[in-house]
Amino acid sequence: MSSHNTYPERKNSLALPVILLTSGLFLLLSYTLLSIEQAGGLAAQVQSALPKSGAESPVTAVLLNFRGYDTLLEVMVLFLSILGAWSIGRASLPQALIKTSTIQISCVRLLIPLMILIAFYLVWQGTRFAGGAFQGGSILAAAGVLLLVSDFPKLIQIHSIHLRLGFILGPVTFILIAFYCIFTNKTFMAYPAAIVSQLLLFIEIACAISIGLTLAALFAGGRPAQESSIAQRKGSTL
Amino acid sequence: MAPILIPLGGGLLSFIFYRKGFSISLLASIVGISLRTDGPSLLMLLMTGVTSITITLYAAGYFSFRIASPSKPGRHERQLQFFWPLWMILLGSLNGLFLAGDIFNIYVTLELIGLSAVALSALSAKPSSQIAAFRYLLVSLLGSLSYLLGIAFLYKTYALLDLDMLRLVPPMKGAHTAFALMSVGLMLKTALFPMHFWLPPAHANALAPVSAILSALVVKASFYLLFRFWFDIFNDLVTPGALFVIGLLGTGAVFWGSIQALRQHRMKLLIAYSTVAQLGYLFIAFPLTQIQEKLYWLPVICMAMGHGFAKTAMFMASGAIFLHVKHDRINELTGVRAYLPVTVFAYTIAGVNLMGLPPSGGFIAKWMLIYAAFEMHKWWWGIVIMLGSLLAAAYVYRVVSKLYVMPPDTIIIEKKAHSMLLEWPPLFLAILSLILGILAPYMVSILLLSKKLVSIGGIM
Repeated sequence: MSSHNTYPERKNSLALPVILLTSGLFLLLSYTLLSIEQAGGLAAQVQSALPKSGAESPVTAVLLNFRGYDTLLEVMVLFLSILGAWSIGRASLPQALIKTSTIQISCVRLLIPLMILIAFYLVWQGTRFAGGAFQGGSILAAAGVLLLVSDFPKLIQIHSIHLRLGFILGPVTFILIAFYCIFTNKTFMAYPAAIVSQLLLFIEIACAISIGLTLAALFAGGRPAQESSIAQRKGSTL
Repeated sequence: MAPILIPLGGGLLSFIFYRKGFSISLLASIVGISLRTDGPSLLMLLMTGVTSITITLYAAGYFSFRIASPSKPGRHERQLQFFWPLWMILLGSLNGLFLAGDIFNIYVTLELIGLSAVALSALSAKPSSQIAAFRYLLVSLLGSLSYLLGIAFLYKTYALLDLDMLRLVPPMKGAHTAFALMSVGLMLKTALFPMHFWLPPAHANALAPVSAILSALVVKASFYLLFRFWFDIFNDLVTPGALFVIGLLGTGAVFWGSIQALRQHRMKLLIAYSTVAQLGYLFIAFPLTQIQEKLYWLPVICMAMGHGFAKTAMFMASGAIFLHVKHDRINELTGVRAYLPVTVFAYTIAGVNLMGLPPSGGFIAKWMLIYAAFEMHKWWWGIVIMLGSLLAAAYVYRVVSKLYVMPPDTIIIEKKAHSMLLEWPPLFLAILSLILGILAPYMVSILLLSKKLVSIGGIM
């Protein structure tokens, strides 16, 4: 532990510049916040374009229609996060069965169907009020986390291909529908007016499933244990 | 094959879009997102395309070599399995960034690039690479958040996100802070001295194809944005003092990076520090840029392309040498040319570009910068560039002299069977960086192409 002596010294030498920098940043930000002349945002433009968007809620209209390309990339960010987590390590799920208390098990059994129902209700009502794929997806993720902490034995038997298909369901549906618009409206992501709300709902449901699965898998912390490399599988058959 | 075909298909589609050029209504561009290309972005796309094809070929050769002689069973198969999706997402988001015409859309592509670059750099599974990758992640997130804060201020001030519209608005109070925050975020991501500390460990500890990707493409993306913001979109906010400070930081990068490169014992660390130094020139170009001139993009694009090709070739060559010799300690690399002649030749030619000898892209860029420095009576920047080239020659020769020398007691390793993909892609890129100066007239004609629009989303 030779670093024991040097560490506090280094911390002290950094303290002053850090304090100066942060307070400078604080002053700059507060000055800007106080002096800024606000332009009011784009709420009026969004409101006027809303009837054509296929969604009654302005948030959903902006997320999936006006700025759908951004949302597609954001869904890709989520996919990338699970890809990165899987590339780094394995999930540390217990391989042996642990006895979970009967109360917890029966609670989870009651809650999970209810949570799935609420999740899809949130997605469904997202076109009119607050809600949508991200909100529904997080409820689904909570259900997944609940299953994970209750050590349901079936979980470690899920084959990784099913999980992987689930992760890409949202982005792939989104991209396919966006390409479909090229054939109908000649522009990427310009949804045909007649079926726009159905298409948005379709995208939202697919994305909600992927988001929920991704977040729950991030909680598990890595690729599943049977996701061993191709070589090891080859080695076992030889 | 599928992961290679998909981005290629994407490339083809974007080419069709470019030719068509949609016109859009005013409303769509306020609430929707549009994609744009012009000369500079086309050249960056071209650089990304050429580099990525060679990196993809090299990676195929690299991984097949490693899987054939594994250091640990199963490790390289896992790396290969995750390399392709991460690399393809990174490539797609790089193209997305060069085509973006909207500051928030740029933020999302930056986030995609940052995350996939971090995951790629952690792929080698060495503890040192994971520590470096974690630091890279923190720096990348800090940069993104700073940029996002800048967007928030800009949106509050102007209620606009579209780059073409932001170009036209008058400077207002919040805009200066926003501009500063966005610039600092992008400088962190471009590793401008003294914010470069994360770059050498992250680039040097990654797998060879990943080092090439990070050094050649990822840092160029944020630099491209920085240059566009300073001279194209927010030029009204730029002051001569700010330009001088950027030039000064660039000078620091050139000297610090070169001297650190000279002090390294490992070949990959030397190349990584040379990236810090070469990025410095891109920033010295800031005080020497005159936007009255039509071709003000040319020196930085030449520099970025030349460095991109040359640095990719160098990292690939060092990867091939590492696979054969099993280490990359510079002092023990004598006689490598006996069994890897093509690789050594590629490394040397790429070094010519870093030194800035004619007819390389580096030469054209430095020539134009030095010319501008004397013309604008700012001769000191010219001196910095010349001294930097001298230092570059020193650190290039430090490796090259070892590779070519054959002392009598040299142990010549028997050449291992390897695919052609390990040796020829670096040579191709090295030669491309060498003849870039001859290709400059074609670059000029691309640079002068007019702007095209593609809109995405929004009500038509």
